[in-house]
Amino acid sequence: MDSLESTFNSIVKQYSERLYWHLRRLVNSHEDANDLLQEVFLKIWQALPSFRGEAQVYTWVWRIATNEALNHLRRQQVRSALRLTSFEEEMDHRIEADPYFNGTAAQRELAKAVARLPQKQRQVFVMRWWDELSYEEISAITGTSVGALKASYHLARQKIQESVSEQILPEDD
Amino acid sequence: MSRNNDIFTPEGYFEALQQNLQAIPAKAQARPAAAVRLAPWLAVAASLALLVSVGLFSFRKTAAPAEEWTDWGYLSYLAQSLDPDGVLMEMEQPGELEDEDIIQYLLNEGISVDYLNETNYETDY
Repeated sequence: MDSLESTFNSIVKQYSERLYWHLRRLVNSHEDANDLLQEVFLKIWQALPSFRGEAQVYTWVWRIATNEALNHLRRQQVRSALRLTSFEEEMDHRIEADPYFNGTAAQRELAKAVARLPQKQRQVFVMRWWDELSYEEISAITGTSVGALKASYHLARQKIQESVSEQILPEDD
Repeated sequence: MSRNNDIFTPEGYFEALQQNLQAIPAKAQARPAAAVRLAPWLAVAASLALLVSVGLFSFRKTAAPAEEWTDWGYLSYLAQSLDPDGVLMEMEQPGELEDEDIIQYLLNEGISVDYLNETNYETDY
């Protein structure tokens, strides 16, 4: 096994599970998350020879994963528009029908509220709340300033709190 | 405690996941590159493009200026002059446009999703 493949396998071992959960939270489907994960790691493999360590590995792989997920969601939105259906309603239905969900009703409402957020707010919320990344890490991944990220996160929390029926988010940290 | 405790995966998913992902380099090497797979089709497309260009150039040089030709008129003339046996005309019609083709075209053209789906418009902060 050459060093490139060895490096790739290390990345798989270290990041595959975390990236799965990250994708799952963005697309709300195990099947889509799994498919995207395959695409993400294919892209990582293809880009690995030209990766010169300009960014930290986790920043690089997270950025690839996030971009793939956001492109996937954009395609879904366009499909909904072409079918004259509501993307939000389709996401609600997807979350309701998820066979791999075993949380509370409040957690389901949270997932739906996050799915309705504008793209940037959804992205920041997922990374901060579920991925538990620091603002500095999110800034390195997205290229957005820490200040702007804090503002996006604050707005996301407000919108979520307005749309869920009970207090499910602890106070801002 | 993980905040991901409300969702789960099929049994054994993560046990198999690493193995599946680590097979990607081998699969990628076994599959010919896209350029190799598409080369024959690209050659056909390039030949047709050349034929159309030459045909249009010849036609425009010989057509009477007073005549008004539609695009379909140009193509009909081209088909008759370059394809007297009707081979090109009998070529299989392109398949129906798939949704994926439309989506990819719109994304490539930079059409905003908000434009397509006005009910989803929200201010971006």
